[in-house]
Amino acid sequence: MKILKSRTLSLFFTVLASTWLYSGLVFAQQIRAVATWPALADITRQVGKELVNVESLATGVEDAHGVPIRPSFVPRLNRADVLVLIGLDDEQTWLPALLEVASNPKILPGRPGYIDCSLGISVLETPIRVDRAEGDVHPKGNPHYLLDPVRAKIVARNIATGLTRNFPQHQQSFEKNLKAYVAELDNWIGRWEKMAAPLRGVKFVDYHPEWVYLADRFGMKLVGSVELKPGIEPTPNHLVELVQQIKQEKARLLIYGAQNPRLPQQIASESGIKVVRLYSGGGNQPETDTYIKWIDYTVRTLVQSVS
Amino acid sequence: MMNIFFGRKFFDVISFGLLLLLMAPRLSFAQASEMESLRALMKDMQQQLQKALSRIDQLEKEKAADSAKLGQVEKSVQAVQSAPSILNPAIGLVLDGTIEKLGTAGGNFNFRAAELGLAASVDPYARMYAFFTGSNQGFEVEEAAAITTSLPYNLTAKGGRFFADFGRFPKFHIHELPFVNEPLSIDRMVGGESQADGAEVSYLFPTPFFLRATFGGYNKIGADNEQVDNLKPRAGSRFTYLGRLHTYFDLTDNHSIDLGTSLAYTPSVRLTGDASGGDRILGGVDLTYRYQPLASTVYQGFTWGSEFYNNSQRFPFDIEVPNEDDPSILETQTVGKRRRSYGGYSYAELKLNRNWSTGFLFDYAPIVDNPGQRTLSYSPYLTWYLSEFNRLRFQYSYLSNNFKADKAEKGNQFFVQWTTVIGAHTHGFVTR
Repeated sequence: MKILKSRTLSLFFTVLASTWLYSGLVFAQQIRAVATWPALADITRQVGKELVNVESLATGVEDAHGVPIRPSFVPRLNRADVLVLIGLDDEQTWLPALLEVASNPKILPGRPGYIDCSLGISVLETPIRVDRAEGDVHPKGNPHYLLDPVRAKIVARNIATGLTRNFPQHQQSFEKNLKAYVAELDNWIGRWEKMAAPLRGVKFVDYHPEWVYLADRFGMKLVGSVELKPGIEPTPNHLVELVQQIKQEKARLLIYGAQNPRLPQQIASESGIKVVRLYSGGGNQPETDTYIKWIDYTVRTLVQSVS
Repeated sequence: MMNIFFGRKFFDVISFGLLLLLMAPRLSFAQASEMESLRALMKDMQQQLQKALSRIDQLEKEKAADSAKLGQVEKSVQAVQSAPSILNPAIGLVLDGTIEKLGTAGGNFNFRAAELGLAASVDPYARMYAFFTGSNQGFEVEEAAAITTSLPYNLTAKGGRFFADFGRFPKFHIHELPFVNEPLSIDRMVGGESQADGAEVSYLFPTPFFLRATFGGYNKIGADNEQVDNLKPRAGSRFTYLGRLHTYFDLTDNHSIDLGTSLAYTPSVRLTGDASGGDRILGGVDLTYRYQPLASTVYQGFTWGSEFYNNSQRFPFDIEVPNEDDPSILETQTVGKRRRSYGGYSYAELKLNRNWSTGFLFDYAPIVDNPGQRTLSYSPYLTWYLSEFNRLRFQYSYLSNNFKADKAEKGNQFFVQWTTVIGAHTHGFVTR
């Protein structure tokens, strides 16, 4: 029995040591970056290229308020050299709890490895009154700015600055990659602006206020939300009023994402509005596995919906 | 004929032909020069366009840099403006109350807790949090602890009064539980919430999967554990020492398993009447399965969680022994005897939609000093989340005892619980 125990123990520790060594060696050559959302992971990849190994925590289909606090994220955060995040309290419901146990001081708020991409972003919907009577408001403003490709250029710049801050020896590479990526984005922005011409002036309804930046960029007009207040499910009265509003305003699209399709379908059947499901996190399917592909898919889908 | 040949018409034809011959090169020359000037114009325009594009690019960069600077300036201004309060900790208040009917004992409005929470960073090396609870039983510092944030080698240390890392639900504040009351098995075997005065060190294994170990030393474990005096100094053998190992696996994107094992060891516990005393071993295994469909985590989900505990320690008992002088007379004598008890709970909860969830709790709770006596409880419950910060819960419990229990601790029990939160409120990773 003792022999069995000692053999089992030595096997356990051998496996433990091997996995430790393996996980160390695999990433030894690259900068280990962890991004909270797939779109951020892709932009980090474009700026860091072969110098970085990027992982995304969320898959892109999750509701930003419902990303599970999965302990399997902890080892990734523990090994990370840098953490790339949306900021503006977007990850407030799940990231701080994980950082609490990740034992990695490098990526804690305020440390060099904590790359908050919201720096310098012109934020929309900054609340005048921060009070939970207004629902689950974001005190620092709407965090879904990645849906605006022009603002994404600032995100890319923030990531390059953050990577350079941590790895100044690669500054030239990051700057070169950033320049190339911004040029590519500019090229795409030109195309999207032409492609999105039919969206200009289109009135729409969202489920949760996720689409304001996209609407701002392409001239769409938000006329209402399914939620009573951000994060608060609608009451029957609110739904009746919303259906009336949709008819009066002649709203053409209802955009929802990680929410339950039941209410959008019900509203559509009563008002005739067209329902479109799009995710505000990107990366959840092959058509959206890079930032550019995600925005392209989003714009294309919206244009097709109003055509 | 000759006249005709050399006449006016002939001359006109010849003249027109000559004119054409003379004009042709001039026309092609004009076209070529026009083309060239067009080319030059195009080139010039291209250059101007290029310049304009570069300028736009430069302006955009400047704009981005300006807005970044502006953002920083705004932040600095805000920081300066709110400097007196900006360093204040995050503050939250939870109010938890029930309307309850307990067996045949009757009903009651039960003001269970008003819990004030504070949390902030201490410095670059530590953070601190505290929960002060006022209830109908008085006012208490439920937790007040400092935690390191920058220790090397994946270590984290914690000191103060806090809920020791024993099991899963023993670490939960009661209002955070998925049902109204703490399972009786936790209450009787752990001694309520795993509150402890002491210190803990946690180590995160550098493995690709989550594996965390905790070691701790405390005066005692259990908010309601009255076997040990929390205030008296004691020998090293009278402290309680804890070890816990916790791991987690994603079975798929939507299914996961949490598994933990805990052991709290007190080398010497001496209860009144048992002079020799002995060690106390409190063990626990916790298992939680979760189904969380990523695309609809706020609408759907299923959790099954169970914990099993065993407690082994000596308790004093009164026994009747024959008198040495006259064996016909029986005398009462107190002796210590080791008792082993086993208990635990199992619950399952289904999320019906964003606002509603329902579940069922089964609990097996032995009396630790008399394990033959036990209480079985069955509790279906329904929870209504009006919002993330406002919750109503309805619960029915049936308590079955195999001993004579107090009127309030048997039979049918009904609860309506209302829990509300203001401000910043979180118990962090442990209550995930």
